Amino acid sequence: MRNVLLLCRIGLSGAMLVIATPAFAAGSPSDPLNSVMWDMLREQYFAGAPVVFDNAVKVTAPAAAEDTRAVPISVDATALGRVVEMVAIADLNPFPLVLRYHPGTAAPYIATRIKIQQATAVRGAARTDDGVWHVSGVLVDAAGGGCSAPPTSYAQKDWADHVGEVQARLWPADPDGAARLRLRIRHPNDTGLVDGIPAYFVETLQIDAQTPGGSPVLARIDSLEPVSENPVYSLDLRPPPDATALVLHGRDNQGGEIRATIPMPPRGAKPAMSPGPSAQPWSVGQ
Amino acid sequence: MKRLVTSLALAASLTAFSATGVLAADAGGPSSDDLLKSATNTEAVLTYGMGPQAQRFSPLTDLNADTVKKLVPVWSFSFGGEKQRGQEAQPIIYDGTIYVTGSYSRLYAVDARTGHKKWEYNHRLPDGIMPCCDVVNRGAAIYKDKIYFATLDARLVALNRETGKVVWNKKLQDYKEGYSNTAAPLIIDGKIITGNSGGEFGVIGMVEARDAETGELVWQRPTIEGNVGTLNGKESTVTGKTNASWPGDMYKTGGGATWLGGTYDPETKTLFFGTGNPAPWNSHLRPGDNLYTSSTLAINPDNGEIKWHYQTTPHDGWDFDGVNEFVSFDLKKDGKVVKAGGKADRNGFFYVIDRTNGKLINASPFVTKITWAKGIDIETGRPIYIDDNRPGAPATADAHDAKGKSVFAAPAFLGAKNWMPMAYNPQTELFYVPANEWGMDIWNEPITYKKGAAYLGAGFTIKPLYDDYIGALRAVDPKTGKIVWEYKNPAPLWGGVLTTAGNLVFTGTPEGYLKAFDAKSGQEVWKFQTGSGVVGSPVTWKMDGEQYVAVVSGWGGAVPLWGGDVAKLVKDINQGGSLWVFKLPKA
Repeated sequence: MRNVLLLCRIGLSGAMLVIATPAFAAGSPSDPLNSVMWDMLREQYFAGAPVVFDNAVKVTAPAAAEDTRAVPISVDATALGRVVEMVAIADLNPFPLVLRYHPGTAAPYIATRIKIQQATAVRGAARTDDGVWHVSGVLVDAAGGGCSAPPTSYAQKDWADHVGEVQARLWPADPDGAARLRLRIRHPNDTGLVDGIPAYFVETLQIDAQTPGGSPVLARIDSLEPVSENPVYSLDLRPPPDATALVLHGRDNQGGEIRATIPMPPRGAKPAMSPGPSAQPWSVGQ
Repeated sequence: MKRLVTSLALAASLTAFSATGVLAADAGGPSSDDLLKSATNTEAVLTYGMGPQAQRFSPLTDLNADTVKKLVPVWSFSFGGEKQRGQEAQPIIYDGTIYVTGSYSRLYAVDARTGHKKWEYNHRLPDGIMPCCDVVNRGAAIYKDKIYFATLDARLVALNRETGKVVWNKKLQDYKEGYSNTAAPLIIDGKIITGNSGGEFGVIGMVEARDAETGELVWQRPTIEGNVGTLNGKESTVTGKTNASWPGDMYKTGGGATWLGGTYDPETKTLFFGTGNPAPWNSHLRPGDNLYTSSTLAINPDNGEIKWHYQTTPHDGWDFDGVNEFVSFDLKKDGKVVKAGGKADRNGFFYVIDRTNGKLINASPFVTKITWAKGIDIETGRPIYIDDNRPGAPATADAHDAKGKSVFAAPAFLGAKNWMPMAYNPQTELFYVPANEWGMDIWNEPITYKKGAAYLGAGFTIKPLYDDYIGALRAVDPKTGKIVWEYKNPAPLWGGVLTTAGNLVFTGTPEGYLKAFDAKSGQEVWKFQTGSGVVGSPVTWKMDGEQYVAVVSGWGGAVPLWGGDVAKLVKDINQGGSLWVFKLPKA
């Protein structure tokens, strides 16, 4: 365990060396979370784009991580209206960027589980039509190890028998027209930071609707190393009324293909329970 | 709002398509024609075998028996990690980049001038892989914008050669049934052609062609008679004639793995694939020739049909696997030029075969001791067996010690020559064969087939024949079958050979040396200690006006795992994993 931690720290300082050169962006608002990484991350992920700290983006995560290999987070930007792209970032991870979400026609909401390396700011950002990134975040306290500890599947001999298997459920649309989709994909999602275990993680996911007239794309996720083993994603999609099924297709970084057809919810099913972030007792306020 | 949503969705779908490589980008890179002509291209090493015929001959002359003493190391690149096992790869060199594979299914792109790593692909292997003979890989294949290699879990991976990003990854076979893949793929006319490993597990040998762009299967040719091939998704023809040389259902688990890959002759437009041992090893369970095991198959690359076959060891009872490479060459004899091919078989004989029809021209021993056959009948092409030297049938009763009569046979099952590729020099008109002198005690035991379990039915132990050497690099004259010179090496030779128009022959030794010899006399003219055993295949090319040589270093392979008494002799060789690059500096 000590070795594992050391490895991650080396990774982190290496990253700092590489990116230490850019100057502080002029006029950048100061980070409400006071993270040492902010200026660097801003330059790396939002370079050239206007950035505002905006509590209209709701980020939820536990105040303290119980399992650093699977910390539930959600980013909800529905208050902003039309959103083109969303990102989730864990500042002090060896790989800070968790995922990029292209909501397409879906509501700008995504939830997943991530690995975190140590106590860190966890951020969500949403880019609106006008090109502005709206950023907010919360602090998550944690003991170290999430990114570089081997996933539990490393001990299971049969991970290869199930890799790429998908469990999915689609609920009927709520009154706003958003239908909750929850996906779980069997995958080790290895970061490559553990000695002897190559990077092996889900990279792209796309959800299409199957309709008589074609297969429009509903949403797309570029997923990265920090997403937890056996990744779980919750999305609020808007399938067209004539959709007969949803189709998930994706790939991992080694070319492994992920395919699933997700049936429409049965007649009479109720929409998913989706309380707003304020109703969740474990969420951390802005 | 509605309009906006539609156009966004369209944009998203376009991006997704290009991201998954559905749009075939033509980013330059070697064409089919470049690959066919790769034997004469001295600026690059585009194919495994340094040309589709796999002569491993370079026309370069800067390095020669006089200048080779000035050959110096330029840089060395470590494969890293703890995965230091056998490194049996041949590097591919194109446009200032070296593409080289390492043990445990790893692929590296390295700057040829500086040794700086451009990218590394590390394949995530399941825990249950079953490679018989170390976790090796023998090399990659390049074509257009992609670089390809096969993995120990029997998959074929295509990567963008600039970025190292995976373009596609296709399952070749099911590793849980004992399949794996270690050979370098062969690319002919846009088709990527692969064999399979797993001959110790009762699998069916197979040659397969896929579209190199998409990875989609084009044809399959099983190597065992009675099994049916496919072409464009439909069943094509049966291999051979069912039950002509196999009893009952045994052809369904008959072996004949094509684990060493193949060669190609552009002149006759023919693929040559060697096939492995029949399964199980105990030959008494499978009376008949057991076609097409321990053979060379000539195959039409368009449809996978077999043009001819030549079986080196019919009814193989010694694991004299026939996979060794068939090297096309022009045999100049009695004023005529014959389109021939040479094969140094595991069974100890060097075969010269007419590559247009598979007819035997000559067969001669290239090791000192062969106990299983008196010779090869030139008329029939069949061995003249010494029946006493076939290991006996095991007792049928449930006796505690049911093993059959043990015999001492030479060569040993690791072969008079194993996988390590020989070279042919059209100037000296000699083959340079990395041979080994060893024998084995071998006996048969009762066996039944179980999916994914070793299917041998034999016990064995390897012994050296001589106290002072096992390995012998031999120059064989294909016209006469005579051995012109030899270099004796204490440890068994397990690396490939390179020869050049500069009158040189290069090969590595388990003792850690890359050595150069005078191609005509066999005199050792240069050596360099690489720090671990050399069991890879050296290559040479010209860059910025200087001649370079590259070889991988890292001891391993089948000898330490299966070598019996010999394993003891090599146990003190240290492991490694690195790529060495040398050059002859400008004066």
